[in-house]
Amino acid sequence: MAIAVKLDDLLHDRRMTLTDLADRIGMALANLSILKTGKARAIRFSTLEAICEALSCQPGDLLQFEPQRAERERPAKRSASR
Amino acid sequence: MARPPAPSPALPIAYVVLRILIVANWLLGVAILALLVVSPNERWIMSAFHLTPSPEAARLVMGLRAVAVLGLVGIPLHYVVLKRLLAIVETVRGGDPFVAANASRLQAIAWALLGVQLLSIVIGTIGKAVSTPAHPVHLDAGFSISGWLAVLLTFLLARVFAEGTLMREDLEGTV
Repeated sequence: MAIAVKLDDLLHDRRMTLTDLADRIGMALANLSILKTGKARAIRFSTLEAICEALSCQPGDLLQFEPQRAERERPAKRSASR
Repeated sequence: MARPPAPSPALPIAYVVLRILIVANWLLGVAILALLVVSPNERWIMSAFHLTPSPEAARLVMGLRAVAVLGLVGIPLHYVVLKRLLAIVETVRGGDPFVAANASRLQAIAWALLGVQLLSIVIGTIGKAVSTPAHPVHLDAGFSISGWLAVLLTFLLARVFAEGTLMREDLEGTV
């Protein structure tokens, strides 16, 4: 997917751990971990709102469009489906 | 939060009935095969159906042999339907029926049902062709609106399952 999640960078800048964030927004650590590792397929507005509020950031700080990322993943997916 | 549905007796009943039908289908196959083995003995067939040797009677015997062969072709088709249906029932019992495997199972069932309907039309046509006023042949086969509707519904259900599985995967990946 061409959408990259910058949660790791945001947490690093704010000297915060994923567990701290999970506690602050009341979300399961496992779900946040899925988001952080880029394995999530979708994000709810409510989750986005809670993260932006806890990290004092904008949605654009959390998500980034990287077309070359999708290009990199495409051959890997093709060979995996063979 | 939605409560899990109360256990229904339909599933264990369906499981047992399907198992019985699978065995019955194989027994039917053996019976048809036995019929085909003895059918070269024309005299035996003539006496069983109270036929007198004539061109019409010979045509009737040929037609019945063709119907038996087509019936034998139908056995693996029925097996595909029953075996896939049993696997679907098992996934429902396991509490996880919305999986991609069930979508492809339904697709296989739909193709098998299509084959059964086509066989039924051919068998019905043969029955009509060999039937005579002296020796009427009444076969429960031919074009059936409900049968073709079942084929269409199963193809649609397979598509619904495939879409539903994708939607569930999306939902599971939503944070």
